[in-house]
Amino acid sequence: MVYLLLILFPIVMSLSCFLLRRHSHMTIILAVATTLTQIVLVSLLPTDEPARLLGLTLMLDPLRRLFLLVFLCVGALSFLVAWRLPQGENFVPVGLLILGMIGSTLLLLQEPFTVSLLLISAGLAAVLAIVDMPTGSPLLVGRATLATALKYLVLMLVAALMMSMAFVLIDISEPGAVSGRVSPSHLILGLFAVGFGLRLAVVPFHSWLPDIAHDSAPMVSVLVVAVINITSLLFLIHTFQFFPDIVAENERGMTILMGLGALTAAVGAALALAQTNMRRMLGYLFVYNAGMVLFGLATTTTLGLTGAVFEALNQTIVVLLLFLCVGLLELPDGRPSNVVRRDLLRRWPIAGAGFLGGSLALLGIPPFNGFASKLLIYQAAAERGGVFLAILLFSTGLALLALLRMARDRLLGPSEHMPEEETPILLGTTDLDRPFARRLEGEPRGLAFLASALLMLCLLIGLYPDPLLATITDVIRGLTFIRI
Amino acid sequence: MDLTSINWAAVGIALSGGIILLLRDWRVTFPALLLNYVFVALLLTQQPYLASSLQIGGWGISAIVLVKLITGVAVTAILTLTALMFSREYGLEDLDEFSLAELRRAARRAQRQGVEPFRFSNYVVAFWALVLAALAALALPRLYPILPSIAVDFSWYWLALTGLFTMVVAGDLLKIGLGLMLCANCIDLLYTAHPHPATARIEPNGLGVYPLGLLSLMAITLALGIAYLSGLLYGRLKTLELNELYKR
Repeated sequence: MVYLLLILFPIVMSLSCFLLRRHSHMTIILAVATTLTQIVLVSLLPTDEPARLLGLTLMLDPLRRLFLLVFLCVGALSFLVAWRLPQGENFVPVGLLILGMIGSTLLLLQEPFTVSLLLISAGLAAVLAIVDMPTGSPLLVGRATLATALKYLVLMLVAALMMSMAFVLIDISEPGAVSGRVSPSHLILGLFAVGFGLRLAVVPFHSWLPDIAHDSAPMVSVLVVAVINITSLLFLIHTFQFFPDIVAENERGMTILMGLGALTAAVGAALALAQTNMRRMLGYLFVYNAGMVLFGLATTTTLGLTGAVFEALNQTIVVLLLFLCVGLLELPDGRPSNVVRRDLLRRWPIAGAGFLGGSLALLGIPPFNGFASKLLIYQAAAERGGVFLAILLFSTGLALLALLRMARDRLLGPSEHMPEEETPILLGTTDLDRPFARRLEGEPRGLAFLASALLMLCLLIGLYPDPLLATITDVIRGLTFIRI
Repeated sequence: MDLTSINWAAVGIALSGGIILLLRDWRVTFPALLLNYVFVALLLTQQPYLASSLQIGGWGISAIVLVKLITGVAVTAILTLTALMFSREYGLEDLDEFSLAELRRAARRAQRQGVEPFRFSNYVVAFWALVLAALAALALPRLYPILPSIAVDFSWYWLALTGLFTMVVAGDLLKIGLGLMLCANCIDLLYTAHPHPATARIEPNGLGVYPLGLLSLMAITLALGIAYLSGLLYGRLKTLELNELYKR
């Protein structure tokens, strides 16, 4: 019953919010209440107790519960952000729908074909959010935004096609299903590499991610990058868990995947260095991070996998922080939109500091949370040979350089605030003749507080990662495909 | 040549998929999509594990096949209605003067372009894509046989290849939509026609109700998504041509 409630409640509430979408504050309150209810339900659910529904097995293990709770918190916070920074007329209903589908996905991970369909449905919902505009917006939806949505839709469907083929191959290669056939594990791994590569934005399938970071509303990017993408990663881990032969029979294939991960990290970092736009740079930094996570996963060692999963968890929090700060840094400040401001840290100190701190956390610079997870990935790389470690460290160096360049160009410049000249009061001048004093608004208090809290959370996890690491390591040790 | 040995459902899938890949006019390609769904349903009726569970007018038909047919009709109806009236008006009263001016410019540009005359050169790439797809779809069932019947194997390979190539050669959004629908149809056929290990599923043949329902739901929502994007694109650029979308 609780499982059914977890699946259907957000979907029903999404429909209600869709009907009320013009009353944006009311829908936000409803959506936050829904996600809080979901959080309570998930907290109360017992773990590792499977249930049957319509012939499907639903289950929640400690790792899935942890991620589901984090996703729901991220969802609730992104709805709250939409209170002050409008994200689109349908953002709240679509966000609730995506959270409902992701909840179903995490409950149904042992049903791979169904999960691949749920993920494409979540992607389809995300497309609607990408092209959405706030209620009463005086602007047209951008051409680039439409192109981005179309690209995402096509690539996600191609990913679903590849995954379906792989799962059908797995089904028929099961002993007893079709006799006399050779297990095509290489082909299956190849199909997974393309399917999950598209979903996780691994090079050369990465182009959609910077586009989404650049063209969609910040909180929509959060739902895509932090929620849908990370769920895809968990799906990949569980796929390996339920079909360990794919890993066991593909020693060379897993080495190629490691190489692909290292290449993705290097290419993502190099392309981030070439960007002048803050959002695009972030997009490429996420590509770099996807490479790091893929590398950790492909090592199939306890160290590497723990690092990858912990990094994915950290990324979820960091992505929310970064896009929240980007939204704040892009707030209008009385200048024409085409003027590039170079003193963003002075103009928006909390958002600027959050952006810098979040980026450092993403790159794994101490004392932020990314450091603990990246360190595990580096250790796993060192076990696999110095070349991989060198490539990963080089990539991180490049990514750091990209961040420093962006900070110099956009954040740390001298103050551009021009003090107003004192005009002498002439005979006959009244108060109405004098120009109004230019008052710049400060950062919205609620969002500034949220950014500070998220930054503190990143620091806290970075300084004291043990409780989270213990939960993750326990689950990873129980995986069947781990190489001892 | 023994005509009874030919699998006419597979031939129908090949022809309808080929028409969708090769031709541009939606008045031809949308009926071809409907035929594609019908032939896929016919192919599924040949599968021994999809027993007739319903009687309609004295004809026995499997409920699963009927669901596929209804899905096909719904998808084609959505896309056809979109093609007939895809003009989505923005809330013009909300737009500022710059946005209104941009809409006027887009309308003028679309009017200048007019109707493109028929040129054979427009079909060269699509034709060679069709040849390539045909060669691959004939070779792959022999090189990598996945499903028990060669006709079904050919059909899903053909649907995947024509779907992907249709998206590659597409010049407008509706054509991309057709490519997506062919790919979705391929996933559907692949799942429904492959022999499932009948363990702990709700259907005796191993097919799950939930994935089957999700497959149909996905196809219909995909068609609705394409319709929504088409409306949005036309409202913005007064055309569905993709080259306008990528102009700087």
